[in-house]
Order: sequence, then C-alpha cells, then structure tokens
Amino acid sequence: MTTTSTNVYKETSFASGTQSPGPNKCRQIRSRLLRLVGSSLRLDAGWAQKHIADCPRCQLRIIGVGKVEMALSLVKSQRHHLDLLMRANVQAVGVLKHSLREAPKAERLKQALPEPTLSEGLSKYKHSAANVAACFAILVLMKIGVFSSMDKFQSRGQEVFRQYYAMYIGQDLADEIFKA
Amino acid sequence: MFDKALSYGLVWGFPVCETVDESQRWILSVMQKHGQELVTMLWRILGNDQDVCDAYQSTFLHLAHCQSGQKPRHVKAYIFRTASNVAVSMLRRRLVERKGLSAAIAGGSSGKAVPSVDAVQDTFPSPANEFDSKYLQDILRCYIARLPEHLRDVITLHDLAELRYAQVGSILGISAATARVYRCKAIQLLAVWMSKERQE
Repeated sequence: MTTTSTNVYKETSFASGTQSPGPNKCRQIRSRLLRLVGSSLRLDAGWAQKHIADCPRCQLRIIGVGKVEMALSLVKSQRHHLDLLMRANVQAVGVLKHSLREAPKAERLKQALPEPTLSEGLSKYKHSAANVAACFAILVLMKIGVFSSMDKFQSRGQEVFRQYYAMYIGQDLADEIFKA
Repeated sequence: MFDKALSYGLVWGFPVCETVDESQRWILSVMQKHGQELVTMLWRILGNDQDVCDAYQSTFLHLAHCQSGQKPRHVKAYIFRTASNVAVSMLRRRLVERKGLSAAIAGGSSGKAVPSVDAVQDTFPSPANEFDSKYLQDILRCYIARLPEHLRDVITLHDLAELRYAQVGSILGISAATARVYRCKAIQLLAVWMSKERQE
C-alpha cells in the first residue's frame, strides 16, 4: 500500500516535472505538525480542563497518574547510605577468585564511595554562575546605556552651541564652524 | 555474609566455591564503571541495603558465569537487565513472604497494613497513608513488580536507573520511540492500579 502510493507520487512528480521534496522539508512539516498537535492536545487546554472538571473517570485517571509520578519522584529522592556502594563491592568481590580479590583494583573497589555526577558536581557552582551572568548582563547594559547617553549628550551639546553661534555670529559662520 | 552468598549461589545454580578465572579481570573494570549506577537502580527497586548488596552480588555472579566466563558483547545491557530481573525476583519473593506474615498477623491481631499488593488490597488505606512517603514508595514497588516484563524493564531503566530512552532502547533491543510508548503504557497501568487501590 505504501509502496504503491510512493510509486504513484513519484510518477505524478515526474509527470508534472516537479522534484520530490528533500528530507529537510519533510522534517520541517513533521515538526510543524507535532507542534500543532502538541499545542491543541495539551492537558491544560480549555476544552480538556472543561471535560476533566465534569468527568469523574478522567479525574480518577489524572489523580492516578499524578500519584504514580509523585511516588516515582519520592523513590528517586531517597538517597542510599554513602557506604552502600562500598559494601556491595565488598560482597561481590568476596565471591570472586582469590587472585581477583587481592588485585589492587579490587582493593580500590572495596573502598569506593559514590562520586557525584557532572550535573551534581556543577550544581554547587550554579548559584555563582548565575550571579556572574547577572553581573555581566548588568555591565553590558550599563555600558550600552552609558555610551548611548554619551552620544546623545554630545549631539545635544553640539546642537546648543550651534544655535548659540547662529544667534550671535550668524547662521553661515555657525554652519562653517560645525561642518569642520 | 558467606551464608547469604551461599544461599543466593544455590538459588541461581552457581556454586559459590567455584572460582572465577584470573582472565576475568574485566569484571572488576565493569564493577568500577557501572557499579554506582547499578547500586542506585537496585536501591530504588528494592529500598533495602542488604537486598541491594545481595542483588548486586548475584548480578556479578551471573556476569562471571555468563558464556563460560567470556565477556558479553554488550556488558552494560547484560548487567542492567540481569540486575533488574534479579531485583524484581527478590522483590516478589519479599512480597510473598510479607503476605504470609501479614496473613499470620491478621490471624492473630489486626496489625497495620503490610505493603504487599494483596495485603494492600485487603486493607483500606487511610487518608494519612495516601500521603505517607514510605507507603507510596512501597506500593509503587509492589505494582512495578506486577507489570509485564517489557513495560517493567522500561520503567526500571528509564525512571529508576535514569537512563535516556535511546540507551534504554539499545539495552532492550527496541527503538527509543517504542521505549517511550512502553513507558507511557506502564504509567497508565500503574495509575489504574493505584487509583483502584485508592478506591478500595
């Protein structure tokens, strides 16, 4: 069925002298469709909220999903003891061959402690990084603001002096001075 | 500890006294590389230190005896699936034991609900239980153990081991999209069971 339709499409394309659209075009259309579908099928969309408000079965389903998500979050938030990895390694290494048990790597495993992941390690710098970024943004804004104000101030000052000279020595001379 | 190891060794059909060949030093590297992730996943499935250690040990015993001691081609997939299966088996066994215990207690006196699926279904959770963290975690573990294997694997690997869908897909031999669909189905099923449990 799909092959037939593809062939038909190809034949039509060749007949009409058009080329088949590239994969980029397909990707664009797919992402646009997904965006459209996603925007209309959101759970917080008006029509969905209205239905949920009147439907006890859907309310129950949503409560159930919320409860599952909450339980999963609780399970994930529970940290094990710091020495659990060490104890597990000791127990697992304990049933291996004597030569493996005595290997330097085995000794290191018996004393292994959980290492923080990259995201966990970087999380302590998150606050400082946010502060630095905020300061940098303020500096950039200040710099832009100061320079644009300086330019404005300079052009206004020039205008005032030009008017002053025009009033006392004449427009022609003032134009000549400020042109230079 | 040795007694425990011996018991699990017998359960899985591996004589513990049977030693591992010295050429299996790669096991230590695997343990070093994936040990932390495995322990985290096992802890989330089992929620008990000793069970985690036992499941971890069983996983590496399986690995040591897999393909006559040869390194599997996809070690990560092998150990994660083995650990998940071992942990779920232990969870089920624990639930059965608890069910027996709760039945014994119910015979003697009216004790607090033991968080096994049947025990929970036999009792009426109070509104306080609804928001009890420990209770929710235990009940979730019970229901995860009840899920069909293909759905359970995705939940354990994606939600409990925190692997990405692409990684889950490559471990289970399915596409990332299929893993997403399975996860969605698993959550729906768990939601239905948890809602039923709430109604009862």
